[in-house]
This record gives sequence, structure tokens and C-alpha cells, in this order.
Amino acid sequence: MAAASKPIRPLMGRRFKRFPRAAILLVASLILGGCLSLRIDKVTDGAEVKPLPQEFAVGKTTLADILASYGAPADIVDMKGHFALHYQRSFYRGGQLSLSIPLSDVLRTSPKLDAAGNLLRYDAAVFILTPDGVLSEMTYENGIARPLWNTYWK
Amino acid sequence: MSYRTIVLGIVIITFLSGCAVFGRNKDFRPFDEQVLTQVKPGQTTAAEVTKMFGPPSQIIKLANGNAYVYDRTLSKATGVWLVLVTFANYDIQHDRMVFFINKNDVVTHYGSSFKTDTAAYGTPF
Repeated sequence: MAAASKPIRPLMGRRFKRFPRAAILLVASLILGGCLSLRIDKVTDGAEVKPLPQEFAVGKTTLADILASYGAPADIVDMKGHFALHYQRSFYRGGQLSLSIPLSDVLRTSPKLDAAGNLLRYDAAVFILTPDGVLSEMTYENGIARPLWNTYWK
Repeated sequence: MSYRTIVLGIVIITFLSGCAVFGRNKDFRPFDEQVLTQVKPGQTTAAEVTKMFGPPSQIIKLANGNAYVYDRTLSKATGVWLVLVTFANYDIQHDRMVFFINKNDVVTHYGSSFKTDTAAYGTPF
């Protein structure tokens, strides 16, 4: 009778207290078994590309002005008459999370989960010039300053 | 030594065992930035440019002539391999020179950027 009237709640509480320990043990065994891995990469290519100077103006700024301010471009593009100077810096961020449970001895398959994500952002300035070397168009993008997480999921 | 200390020691050793790698890759071209002062727009010819700096990495055909591009690269890589995590960082920087040459084979403009000195080892954070 005494056993039948034993309260249930403390038993459940004990089970829940044991749960975090079991979870920690499981995660630790996965980690130590080499089943969980994390990889983080960063690649920066090129030097800083500064914003467009305020004194630059279409129809006035020349090739010499641009070269004096920005130096040698990453790329020169012939546009059948006009030509473009392309300044660029790329910034790569990559991450990979891998989780697998080795059950091949017990089951025929081993569950495996891989999650990977990469984001490549650019700072770029493009100047389009007439054949005589006068600025006809310019544009700038500061992509590296954009937030990593929000930009990735956008 | 307590049981807890031993377990902690094993965990720390397990997580910190691994290796670190430092790499340096160079795409070398033997041009000297000091020689750049000898280039005079309106006077220096295309032949003199190639004599001073060697063959260009790239020649781009433009409406009013050509552009000679010289490019070399230095990349520095840092990698850390631990049991659980791998971190890798690459920094790639370039030395570049560009010469605009008109239809008479004379340099009209030139520009340069020497940034390989700024390539650095580091973490991906």
C-alpha cells in the first residue's frame, strides 16, 4: 500500500535530472569518437578598395586621376571602344558542421548529417572610361561590410 | 590526483591535440618596383617596358592601343587542426603594374599597387 501511494513527481524529476547527464555523455562520446566536427574558413583576396572620392566626376576625371588614386586595377575590360577598370577585394567565409553516428556494426547504415554554408562578398569599384581616357561611368559596392548572417540568409 | 582532474586532463589533451600549419605560396614574377621611376609617360616605349620588367602577365587589346599587365601574388595560410574543430585562414595579396600603350607603342599612363607586404597570417575570426 505504501508503495502504491508513492508520489510520481519525484521519480519524474529524477529522470529529468539524469537527462542532461545522459545528453552530455552522448555528445562527449560522439566528439571523442570523431563523429562531430566543425570547420571554419576565411579567405581574403586583394587589398582594400576605397569608396569613390567626392572629387571624381563623370566627364572630368581622367585615367591618370584614377590610376593615381587607386593604383593598378585587378582587371581591365575592353568594351568595344570604351574600357573599364575593375578594382576588387573578395572575402570568403565558409563553415561546415558534420555529425555522424557509427552504427555500422549494429545496423547496415550509419546516420550522417552534414551542414555546410559559404558566403563570398566583394568590395568593388568599376570605372568605365571613353577611348580617350575620360570617366564616363563609375560605381562602388561595399559588400564586405554587409552582415554575415543576415546576408547569408537573405 | 582526483578522478575529476584525470578526466579533465584527458579531455583537454584530447581537444588540444592536433596540428598547426603555416603556408606561404608565391606566384613570382621578377619585376622591380624601383625601376618604375624610369618610366616616363609620353616617352617610354612598349619595348622599353618589356626590357625593364620582362614579359607581361597579360596583354589587353584596347580601342586606342594595348594595356600591359604585370601581376604577382603572395598568399599566406594559417591552419589549425584540432580533434573537433578545424580553422583555416588565407590572405592573398598582389603586386600589380599596368601600362597603357597607345597605337604608336608609347606609354601614355601607368599605375601600380604593391600590396604583397601586407599579406598576413591569422585566424579566421
